[in-house]
Amino acid sequence: MLKKRITLLMLVTLLAGAILSACGGAPAGGGKTTITVWDYYGEATPVKPLIEGFQQENPDIEIKYEALDWDTTLEKLNVVLSGGTPPDVVTVDMTWIPKFASLGAFSDLKPLSGSQLNGVPWDQAYTPGALEAITFNDQIIAALYDFDVYALYYRADLFEQKGIQVPTNWDELLAAAQQLAESDKYLYEFDADTFHGSQWIYENGGTLLNADNTEAAFNSAEAVQAIEFNKSLLDAGVAINWTTDQGERIQGVKDGRVAMFSDGPYYMGIMKSAAPEMTGMWRVAVHPYSKGPGSYLGGTGLAIPSGAKHQEAAWKFVEYAMRVENQIGVYTYAGAAPALKAALESPDVNVADPYFGNQQAFAVFLEATNTAHHFPYVRVWSDIDEIFTNAMQEIALGQKTVQQALDDAATSVNEALSQ
Amino acid sequence: MTNTFIMRAAREIRKHHLAYLFIAVPVVSSIVFLLIPMLTSLWWSFNDYSGLQPAKFIGLQNYIKLLTDDTIFLHALRNTTLFVLMGMSIGPTLGLITAIMLNQNIRLRTIFRTAYFLPVMTSMVVVATVWMMLYNQNGLFNTVLTNLGLGTVGWLSDPKWTLVSIVLASIWQGFGFETVVYLAALQDIPKELYEAAMIDGASAWQRFWTVTLPGLRSVVLFVYVYGIIGSYQVFDQVFVMTSGGPVYSSTSIVYYLYTRFQNLRLGYSSAIAYILFVILVLFSYLQMRLSRERE
Amino acid sequence: MITRRKTSLLLQRGTLYLALVVSSILMIVPFYWAVITSLKLEGFVYSNPPQWWPNPLTFFHYVEITTKLSFLRYFSNSLFVAGSITLAHVFFDTLAAYAFAKLRFPGRDRIFFIMLLGLMVPFQVNLIPMYRIMSSLRWLDTYAALIVPQLTSIFGIFLMRQYIQSIPDELLDAARIDGCNEFNVFRRVILPLAIPGIATLVIFIFMGAWSDFLWPRLVTSSNNMFTLQVGLAQLQMKNTSNITQIMAGTVTTALPMILVYLLMQRRFIEGITAGAVKG
Repeated sequence: MLKKRITLLMLVTLLAGAILSACGGAPAGGGKTTITVWDYYGEATPVKPLIEGFQQENPDIEIKYEALDWDTTLEKLNVVLSGGTPPDVVTVDMTWIPKFASLGAFSDLKPLSGSQLNGVPWDQAYTPGALEAITFNDQIIAALYDFDVYALYYRADLFEQKGIQVPTNWDELLAAAQQLAESDKYLYEFDADTFHGSQWIYENGGTLLNADNTEAAFNSAEAVQAIEFNKSLLDAGVAINWTTDQGERIQGVKDGRVAMFSDGPYYMGIMKSAAPEMTGMWRVAVHPYSKGPGSYLGGTGLAIPSGAKHQEAAWKFVEYAMRVENQIGVYTYAGAAPALKAALESPDVNVADPYFGNQQAFAVFLEATNTAHHFPYVRVWSDIDEIFTNAMQEIALGQKTVQQALDDAATSVNEALSQ
Repeated sequence: MTNTFIMRAAREIRKHHLAYLFIAVPVVSSIVFLLIPMLTSLWWSFNDYSGLQPAKFIGLQNYIKLLTDDTIFLHALRNTTLFVLMGMSIGPTLGLITAIMLNQNIRLRTIFRTAYFLPVMTSMVVVATVWMMLYNQNGLFNTVLTNLGLGTVGWLSDPKWTLVSIVLASIWQGFGFETVVYLAALQDIPKELYEAAMIDGASAWQRFWTVTLPGLRSVVLFVYVYGIIGSYQVFDQVFVMTSGGPVYSSTSIVYYLYTRFQNLRLGYSSAIAYILFVILVLFSYLQMRLSRERE
Repeated sequence: MITRRKTSLLLQRGTLYLALVVSSILMIVPFYWAVITSLKLEGFVYSNPPQWWPNPLTFFHYVEITTKLSFLRYFSNSLFVAGSITLAHVFFDTLAAYAFAKLRFPGRDRIFFIMLLGLMVPFQVNLIPMYRIMSSLRWLDTYAALIVPQLTSIFGIFLMRQYIQSIPDELLDAARIDGCNEFNVFRRVILPLAIPGIATLVIFIFMGAWSDFLWPRLVTSSNNMFTLQVGLAQLQMKNTSNITQIMAGTVTTALPMILVYLLMQRRFIEGITAGAVKG
C-alpha cells in the first residue's frame, strides 16, 4: 500500500512539474505582443513605473518585466546573446557597449526610429558627447537613458568644522585630505579600477589609448604622473584603499571611514535611501584636477538586441521611456542623471537638493560631462579593462612601481589590440 | 547479411524490451545532456568562437596559448594546485584526528560528530557568504586579532592571504565528511588486532602505525582521490568571496574558465575545460591503478 | 602505582574531552555568528568589542527578506526543484540499476561502463552547450531547465546497483514463477528491499540539488524562478543590502538542510559510510 502511494506521489509530482514548467514559458494569449524588458536598476528603478502608462497607451503590447541586478544582467546578456532568447529591451551599462556592439549584438536604432526620437532628430535630442557615446560604426546602438560621470563627494560638515576649503587642484586635495584625516577615519577613498584611474589620467591631460585606438597610452609621462599622485594619497596615509573585504562603501560613508570619494550621480540616490541620517552633511564638487577637469563618461542605455523578436514594439517602449516627462523620472525615482538634453535643462531636475544642503548637486555632474570621455570602443575593451584594473591593484598593493605596472599593462594591451 | 543482423537485433530488443525500457531514460539523458554537449564544446575548443558570430577554426591554437602564453591561466593552475595541496594535506588529517578522538569510548559522541559534520550540510554559497563576513576588515577575526594585539590581516585583500582564506573556509566546510568516513572505517578494525599489538608491547604510536593506518587503506585512497578531483573544480567560494583577485591571487581554473566565457571567448573557455578534464582523468586513472595494486 | 595510572588515565580522558569540546565550539562559531548577526541591528555588526549576544535583538531582517524580497518564493522553488529531482532519481535510477544488476541483456556491461566514464567529465565542459540546448527547447527560465537535465545520474545508478546486487536472486525467481512481469518484480521485491539504499540516494541527491548554484543561476533570469542559492548570491551582490539582511538570507538558506540532517542523522551517516567504506 505504502509503495503504491509513493509511486503515485512520484508520478503526480513529476506530472505537476511538467505542467508547471510548460506554464513557465507560455506566451501571452490572443493578439497581444509581449515584450520582455530587463532592468538592472534595482529598488529605485525609473523603468518599472513606466509600464502602466505605456500599456495603457499601447493596449496591444504587454510587458514582461524582469528585475535583475547589474552583475546578473551582464552575465545573462553574455549567455543569451550568444544563443538564447534575448530580451526585447535591456538596460545596458555603456561600458559593455564596446564588447557587444563590436559583435553586432544590438540593433541599429536609426532605421527603427525613422531617425527621430519623439519627433526630434537624434543630434538635437542629445549633447554631442552623449550622441558620440551611443554611436558605433555609424549606427546608434542604444538610447542613452542616464549618464554617469564622476565628481567629488565630500563631508562638508567636517570641512566647515576644520576650516578646510573645497580643493580645486591636486595639491589642495592632498592638503585637505591631510587636515581631514584622523588615524583611520575621514579618509579619501582610493579605488583601484579603470573608472577612477582613468579620471586621474584625464585630469592630467593623458588618455587611455592613442588617437586611433591601436596602442596603449596610459603609460605616458602624464598618465604615470597622475597615477603616482593618486598613489601618493595612499602613501601619505590620508586615503583608504577600498577593497572587497571593506564591505560596501555605504558602510564606510556611514561610519566615517570615508569622508571624500569620487562617484557618479546615481550614488546620490543610494545615499539618500541607505544613509538618510546624514542629510546635509555631504556636498558634491568638480573633482580636483591638475591640467583640466576630467572623468570617464558612461551611463545606462536602453538597447534592443538584434536577435530580439519584437523590434518595433521594443522601440515603442524605448521611445516612450525617452519622453521628457519620463526622463525626468530618472532623477525623481533613481536620483540618477537623465541623458535627454531637454530633461537636463528642466527645472524639475535642476533642483536644490535638501540632502546635499540645498546645493544644486545635479548641476555639478552636468558640468563634468563637458570634459568627460567614454571608454574606447574596441572589441577587446573587456580585456583592456581587466589588464588596467590589475595594474591599479598591483600599484595599490605596492607590488610594482607605477611606471612598471603601467608599462607591463601597456605591453599586454598592445598585444590584445593587435589580434 | 545486414538483414539477418537487423532481424537479430530487433528480436533481441523485443525479447529484452523491458530491460531496455528500464535503462532508456538514463541512456537518452546521457546522450542528450552529456555526450552531445561534450562533443560540442570539444569542437568549440578548436575554434575562435564568440557565440555571437560564426566560429573560426583555429586548430590547437587555444591549447597552445593556454599552456605557453597565458600567465593568468598559469596563475590559475598554480593557485588551484596550491589549493588542492593545502586542502588535502590538512582536511583529511583533521578528519582522521577527530575520527580517532571520536572512536575512543566517549559520551555524547553524536553531538561532537554533529559539530564537525554540520558544515558539510551547508552549500558552498552559504559558507562563502558567512566567511566573507568573518573575513571583513572589521569582522570577527580581525577584531579578535586586534584585541590580542596581533594587528589585522587583509584576508581577502592581501594577495598573500586570499588563497589561504579560501582554503580555511573550504576545510571548515569539508573535513567533517572525512571524520565520518574515517570513523566508520576505524570501527571496522577488529579489536583483537589492537589487543595483540598491546600484548606485544607496542606503544600507542606504534599501534597507530601498524594497526590503524593499514586498516584504513581502502578508505584513505577513496578520500584522497575523491577529494583531489573535487578540489580541482573549486569555483563557488572564489566567485562569492574574491572574484579571483586581487591580482589573480585566488583565481582558480574553473573561475578563469567562467571569466573567459564572460568575455565571450567560448572556444577558449572550452579548451580550459578540456585541459581540466585531462587532469581529472589522470587522477582517476591513478586511483584505478593504485586500488588495483592493492588487490 | 595504581593511583598514578588512574590519574594519568583521568588526565588523558580529560584532555580528550577538552580537545573535543574546544574544537566543536570552534566549528560552531561561524554558524553562531551568522545567526546572531541576522538578529542584530546594523550598527552593532562590526562593533569592537564584538557583541556576543544581540542587544537589541530583532527579527526585522527576516520580515524584510520575506516581504520586501522574495525569499519565500525562493524557498518554495528550491523545495519543488530539489524534491522533483530527488523523486525522479529514486524512480529512474533504481529502475535502471535493477536492469544493470539483475537482468541479462546484450550490451549490458558495456553500456554501463561507458556511462560510468561520464562521471569523470567535469560539468563545466558541458555548461554552455547545455545552456544552448535549453534555449532551443524554449526551456530557459522554466522549471523544466532546472529539473529535466537532472532526472537521473550514473552516480545514483551505480549506488543503487551496489544495493540491488546483494538482493538474493531466489527472491526474484520466486516472484517470477508466481507470474510477475519484470516491472512487478521491481515494484514488489526490489523496491522494498532497497529502501536503505533509496534513503541514502535521497539524502545525497536532495543535498546536491538544494546546494546547486551555477546551473540554476545560468538558466533562470526572472526573480520568481530563483532558488535559494541564487537568491542569496544575488542579495550578497547588491550594493545597497546590508550584512544583517544577508545573514538572515543565509540562515534561511542553510536551515532546511541542517534540519534534515538533524532529523535523519543516522541514515545520513550510514549512507556515506556505506558508499565510502564498501564502495
